Amino acid sequence: MAAGVTRRAALGGGAALVLASCGGGDPPPSDGPRPGSGAGLLGSLLALERAVIAAYSASAAVLGGEALRLSREIRAREEDHVRRLEQAIRDLGGDPPPGRAASEYERTFPRLNAEADALRFLEDLEERQVRAYLEALAELPELELRTMASEIGADEGEQLAVVRVLGGGPASPHPFETGAL
Amino acid sequence: MNATRRALFGAAAAAALGAAAPALGQDGRSDSEILEELLALESRLESAYEAALRREAIDAGLGELLRDQEREHIRGLEQSLGTLGERSPRATVPPPELGTALRSRAAFARFALDLEAQAVSAYVKAAAEIRRPGLRRPLGSIMACEAAHEVALRAAAGLPLLAGTGGRE
Repeated sequence: MAAGVTRRAALGGGAALVLASCGGGDPPPSDGPRPGSGAGLLGSLLALERAVIAAYSASAAVLGGEALRLSREIRAREEDHVRRLEQAIRDLGGDPPPGRAASEYERTFPRLNAEADALRFLEDLEERQVRAYLEALAELPELELRTMASEIGADEGEQLAVVRVLGGGPASPHPFETGAL
Repeated sequence: MNATRRALFGAAAAAALGAAAPALGQDGRSDSEILEELLALESRLESAYEAALRREAIDAGLGELLRDQEREHIRGLEQSLGTLGERSPRATVPPPELGTALRSRAAFARFALDLEAQAVSAYVKAAAEIRRPGLRRPLGSIMACEAAHEVALRAAAGLPLLAGTGGRE
C-alpha cells in the first residue's frame, strides 16, 4: 500500500512537473488582444491541452485493448479542444502560441512502465484540466468564452471519469469534482 | 458532503454576493432563477434514483452513491439560494416516463442517462451565464460530477463509456 501511495505521489508529481513546464517555455501570445480579454488565460489552457495530448500519445506504448481505444478517442477530443482554443485566441486578435515537439513534453513525464502507471498519470492530468477550466470560468470576461470553457470543462469531467473507470476506480468519487468549492 | 464542504459552498456563495452583479443574466434570467432551475433538475434526479432503489431498478451501491451526490448538490444549491435571500422552490412532479423506466434496469439506465445529460447541459449554460463570478466555479464542479455520473451509468449498463469523440459544442 505504501509503495502504491509512493508511486501515485511520484506520478502526481510528474503531472505537476508537466504543468509547471508546459507554459513556461512557450512563447506568450502576441500583443494583439487587449489586456483583460482572456487571451492569456486561453493560451495557458492551450499549453496544458497540448501537454495532455502528448501524454496520451506517450501512454499509448503501455496501454492496450479498451484503454488504448478510449485513450485515442480522448486524445481526438483534446485535439478538438486545441482547435477551439486556437480559434478563440485568433478571434480576440491574437496568435496562438506554438506548441513544442513531443520529445520536449516527454522529457517532463514520469516513467510509464505499465498501464496502471499511465492511467494514474492521465487521471492526474485530467483532474488538473478540469480544475483549470473551472478556474477559467470565474476569470473569462465574455459569455461566449465562458460557454466554451464550460463545454470543454464538461468534456474533461467526462474524460476524467472514463480514465478512473479504466483504472478500476469509481467514475464519480466526489459530489463536487476536484473539490473546487 | 461533509460540513466543511457545505460551509465552503456557502462561503463561495457569500463571496459571490460581495461582488455587485446585475439582476438579470444573458437570457433575462436572474441568478436566483438559474439556481432554481438547477435545483428542480437535481430534485428530479434524486427522486428518480430513490424510486429506482425502492424498485431495484438500479444496482444498490451505484444508486445510493448517485442519489447521495444529488442530495449534496441540492444542499449546496439551497444554501446558495438562501444566501441570495431566496426560498427554495417547491418539489417538482416526477416525469411520467419514470413509471415505465422503473420496469427494468436497462430502461432505467437509459432514463437516468437522459436526465443526467439534461443536467449537464443545464450546468454548462448556467456556469457560463450566472452573473456572480464566485458561483461559476462551484456550479462547474457540479457539472463535472454530473458528467461523471453519465460515465458511471454507461459503465453499469455496458454501454460505450464515451458518448462520442465530438465532445460538447
